[in-house]
Amino acid sequence: MTSNKIDILLAKYWECETSVQEERELQEYFLSESIAERHQQYKPLFSYLESVQEMGLDCDFESKIMEKIAEIGEREKEKKYLEIRIFEPLLKIAASIAAIAAIGISVFLIEKQNKQVFAETYNDPSVAIKQATSALEKLGEALKQSEQASMRGIRELQEFDLDWSMIDSLAVSADSIPETTDNVDIRERL
Amino acid sequence: MKSDIFFHNIILPQKDILYRLALSIVKDKREAEDIVQDVFLKLWSKKEEWEDIENVEAYCFRMVKNLSLDKMTSLRMKTTESISQEDSDYKFMDSHTPLSEFESKEESEIITRCIDELPENQKLAFQLREIEGMNYKEISSTLNISEELVKVSLFRARNKLKNLLSGEK
Repeated sequence: MTSNKIDILLAKYWECETSVQEERELQEYFLSESIAERHQQYKPLFSYLESVQEMGLDCDFESKIMEKIAEIGEREKEKKYLEIRIFEPLLKIAASIAAIAAIGISVFLIEKQNKQVFAETYNDPSVAIKQATSALEKLGEALKQSEQASMRGIRELQEFDLDWSMIDSLAVSADSIPETTDNVDIRERL
Repeated sequence: MKSDIFFHNIILPQKDILYRLALSIVKDKREAEDIVQDVFLKLWSKKEEWEDIENVEAYCFRMVKNLSLDKMTSLRMKTTESISQEDSDYKFMDSHTPLSEFESKEESEIITRCIDELPENQKLAFQLREIEGMNYKEISSTLNISEELVKVSLFRARNKLKNLLSGEK
């Protein structure tokens, strides 16, 4: 490469107009043996760049990292195993609580469902009330009639003005005392 | 496993870029390696969230940058300390990149110090362009700044170095 071209490249370099490729060419020039006298002053910069570019980690760095990663993996596995062991009794308790809760809830739900079957004969509450009212009215009427009938019976009995002590003695010595027509009548009425 | 393949093919290849970024901030080889390792392990622990990450490269870059800056504050490291130490901690001081490549060790120190003194945007734009060879669009999405600002930052960084090397102020 001619030193004139280097002059142009250098000028572009200071103005930040060079491409990465051109900068590589410049560096190659400065690392070569044939550096023009007027360019010597910049040589330390390119030598410095070259030396830093060559710096790197040792070859065993990658294997060290992979080893460390494997170690971390092992530790995590161990930790998980330990966690399971520590929490195992708790897990059992939790499982039994969950089972009991499940049974309780299912029993409750079944119970609730059954109740609903008995309760829901009527869809419309007003119809249910109507039915219930008429049933109770019928019952009330029947009770009233039976009460009236019994009251009537008692009143009729009172109208006869019976001598109860005589009737009792009649019952005791029914066989020994001769039957009268009145007595027969009373017995028939009773 | 899907996450294994993703980690191997997308995340792990970033290691050197991330390492150089961490190194440019913390200036310590071991610290930088620890940072990259921490970031990778943190990423692995969040593998369920990978699908939500739009630009994994930029995400890794930001994680490393933030962690490096945090480390720097907590360690209160002096940025120039380890550079000036005469150990062969850096690869560019190693035998396969001979010291003779530099006109002198001092010059590389001066450049390092000059880059360290740059504002963060300029330093990162310079790092991504000059060291990682990224184009303006890639730098813009990685740093989450506009391409215009990338270019301006790089321009300022290069000019500062130019002035330094050509003896101007």
